[in-house]
Amino acid sequence: MAQAVATPPISLTTELDMRRVLTWGGYIGLTTVFVAIIGMVETFSSRSLIDPFIDLGDISLLWIPVLFGYLATHRETLEGMEAPRTGPHNLMGGAIAGLVGGGVMALFLVLFDSMQLRDIFPNASPELFELLTFGHGLGGGILVVLAAGAALGAAGGSMHLLPERIRNAVTSGLLWVFAFALLKLIIVDILEELPGTIEDLIYAIDEALRWGAAIVIFAIFFAINYIASRNKISLRARVASLPEKERTGFGLVLAFLLIGLGFALPSMLNTFFNEILATVGLFMLMGLGLNIVIGLAGLLDLGYVAFFAVGAYATAVLTSPSSPQLTATLPFIIAIPFVLLAAAAAGIFVGTPVIRMRGDYLAIVTLGFGEIARVLFLSDWLKPIFGGAQGILSIPSVAVWRWLISAALIAAALGVAWTVYKRFFHDPARQQLKLFAGSVAAAIGIGALVAASKIGVSGTFIVQGTKPRLIFYAIFFFAVIAAFVSWRLQDSRIGRAWMAMREDEQVAEAMGINTTTAKLMAFITGAVLASFGGALFAAKIGAVFPSSFALIVSIIVLVIIIVGGMGNIPGVALGALMLVGILGGPTQPGLLREFEGFKLLIYGALLIYMMLARPEGLLPSSRRVQELHQEEFEQDAWLKSKEAVSEEGS
Amino acid sequence: MAMLDIRGLGKTFGGLHAIDDLDFHIDKDEIVSVIGPNGAGKTTFFNNITGMIKPDRGEILFENYDIVGLDPSEITRLGIARTFQNVRLFPQMTVLENVMVAQHTRTRKGAWSAIMGTPGFRKEEEEIKERAKDILGFFGTRLVGYRFDQPAYVLSYANRRRLEIARAMATQPDLLLLDEPTAGMNPRETIELTELIGRLRSERGFTIVIIEHDMKVVRDVSDRVVVLDHGTRIAQGTYDEVSSDDKVIEAYLGKTDT
Repeated sequence: MAQAVATPPISLTTELDMRRVLTWGGYIGLTTVFVAIIGMVETFSSRSLIDPFIDLGDISLLWIPVLFGYLATHRETLEGMEAPRTGPHNLMGGAIAGLVGGGVMALFLVLFDSMQLRDIFPNASPELFELLTFGHGLGGGILVVLAAGAALGAAGGSMHLLPERIRNAVTSGLLWVFAFALLKLIIVDILEELPGTIEDLIYAIDEALRWGAAIVIFAIFFAINYIASRNKISLRARVASLPEKERTGFGLVLAFLLIGLGFALPSMLNTFFNEILATVGLFMLMGLGLNIVIGLAGLLDLGYVAFFAVGAYATAVLTSPSSPQLTATLPFIIAIPFVLLAAAAAGIFVGTPVIRMRGDYLAIVTLGFGEIARVLFLSDWLKPIFGGAQGILSIPSVAVWRWLISAALIAAALGVAWTVYKRFFHDPARQQLKLFAGSVAAAIGIGALVAASKIGVSGTFIVQGTKPRLIFYAIFFFAVIAAFVSWRLQDSRIGRAWMAMREDEQVAEAMGINTTTAKLMAFITGAVLASFGGALFAAKIGAVFPSSFALIVSIIVLVIIIVGGMGNIPGVALGALMLVGILGGPTQPGLLREFEGFKLLIYGALLIYMMLARPEGLLPSSRRVQELHQEEFEQDAWLKSKEAVSEEGS
Repeated sequence: MAMLDIRGLGKTFGGLHAIDDLDFHIDKDEIVSVIGPNGAGKTTFFNNITGMIKPDRGEILFENYDIVGLDPSEITRLGIARTFQNVRLFPQMTVLENVMVAQHTRTRKGAWSAIMGTPGFRKEEEEIKERAKDILGFFGTRLVGYRFDQPAYVLSYANRRRLEIARAMATQPDLLLLDEPTAGMNPRETIELTELIGRLRSERGFTIVIIEHDMKVVRDVSDRVVVLDHGTRIAQGTYDEVSSDDKVIEAYLGKTDT
């Protein structure tokens, strides 16, 4: 007989995993102390976020007990298992964790007060002590820290009590408020283009969000998220469940839209943001190249900067009038084919000796090659060609014939129009996307024609390195080419061979793939894409020095593709935008100049977090996993169509 | 004339003679089973033929052409394909892609035509896809329809074995080497696969060498059985001849005191 199982009442002792709570409490304490002692709190406290009471310094501390307090009683719900019950124990657990964290912080304050911490930690200034104790001195400060820890931890724990939909909406609202406050400069820059003075309503004078505006923004995004989550199936899953033709059509329109946006965006932004965009484009270009080598072919190349350097130096030698040996002074556009040849040769040169290596060994050897390239360019031996530490100066700007740009723009517009026509208007089954696709195509076409008419057909057009907007267009053009090449290659014979090699090299060889050729092809393709980046980099800066090609460039490109989503083109683009755009490149500034000193720390923390929590990246490469019911449905449909065919035949 | 003729094959790992002076041949349209106790050198034998491990001695004539020393990919191109004892698919690739990628040696369009999307490239892609679907259709409804776009790792064990056979078929070989195709399958799946191996020859015209432990399968599919022990051939003949051979019984059960 089936008997109803009585649900035992929730009791704190059974539901509360004390060990976990205490561990997270320890994490709270250590992380807050760490953030304080490296100087983040003090540096950030000068940046006001919400007028007049919250600054970035507060946020850099406060998020820790809230998030960790939430995690202290968080349990993963496994597939098919009952969701863990929520109740006062969540609140209790969060509070205890926060209290423990506060205790650790209090201990730190005692140490701070009694010892000369500043001898070891230069950031441990009296001002920091003032900040951490909220100006109440040691005794009062400890009380405040304990109370704040417990309260914030409990706040984090209480998030469990909210239904999931509301919790997600609250998180989304808070994150958007934070983003609006943090990205004030760029948002103001965009809003200034619009009529009216909406930016003054949102922001106070000193970079901070007005608190009223903060509430409105929170409410708007809370509502958007709450309404959007009404459908259980996410947008992404719904797109994935479309039939293949619709799906690729949708992807195509989205790609066109993004490309159009990429060309429209710079004219809305000022020089500084265009400079950042140019850097983003450069790293996007390199990320796409490295994505072929690592994401598709599975060859862990840590010396990718070598190809970037080869591209830059080849351009410098061929175009600069002051290049020591060869003063060919070719125009950029004629030099490019030779640069590509040089890069391909470098790809073969690096690829050949490492053909028989895999995994860790390959990584170490390529790491060495990356450094060798830099040292060679720096060496006295090659100084007569590459100029040693002085580098090569006065590289001319990119100069392109006007007729070529105009022709390319019109050809691109025609190509977009033709693709859209063929994909959507030829086929009566595409009613849904027709209007959308048509208007996107029309917008892009008109944009291209207007640009072409401005550029004209006679003379040369000079993309001055001092004009970041023009440089961005040049870089973006090559990035689009790189994305296109990657997209075409990944669904081709060679792309499949790369993937097979990534999965199991021995079996790939046994299935008839010549892995030597396939590996060399991957190295060459990656090298060529990186050399585009190098060439534009040289023309943009107007000079090349060996110091620009340090190991950190390889590492940052690698982090971009890991965080963005390895093996996925939009993922790489997003990774470059998020990391390089917001935090900045190895030497280039990003949107958040406040983070300049902590850039590498954040890169590292993000990398570790992603490896632990989401190794597939922000936008994982979709292996087209569909909803279960959809599969069954399609299988039935397929069988029915088979039956229909066989009946017709008989 | 034998399709595959192996003479005096030898492979030593350290002091162990994995293959020792082995002679073997198979004629066109034959199905030959290779049996033997664990560690008899059966899989090493396959590895030697496919070039994944180079033999130390002897010659392997495939259609009168010595293939010793060639790379595995070249041997596959000449027309020998294999499956693996411990299924080795490309797990992150879809079912269809697994079969498409195996047609690598039979297709030729390079990177440039792929980037340009030339008509020739598209035609070839379409052919590759159609051929892959046709091959997967050979296995009834098990690997078709919605399965095409599923990554290989979600497949059941038996389906993974089937997909491995499909992938080997896609290299368009003359000679198919199957390494324990029924291992880990339940009795019903085993019967189904036995029948399928027969169809591989009758419908697709493959010549087949099969390593197998299940004696019922061996009895049902093979024209000839070759027994290996300690890397040498100790017996060969029909299933009935071999199964009553004293040396074979001794190899499997140990020496009887008489």
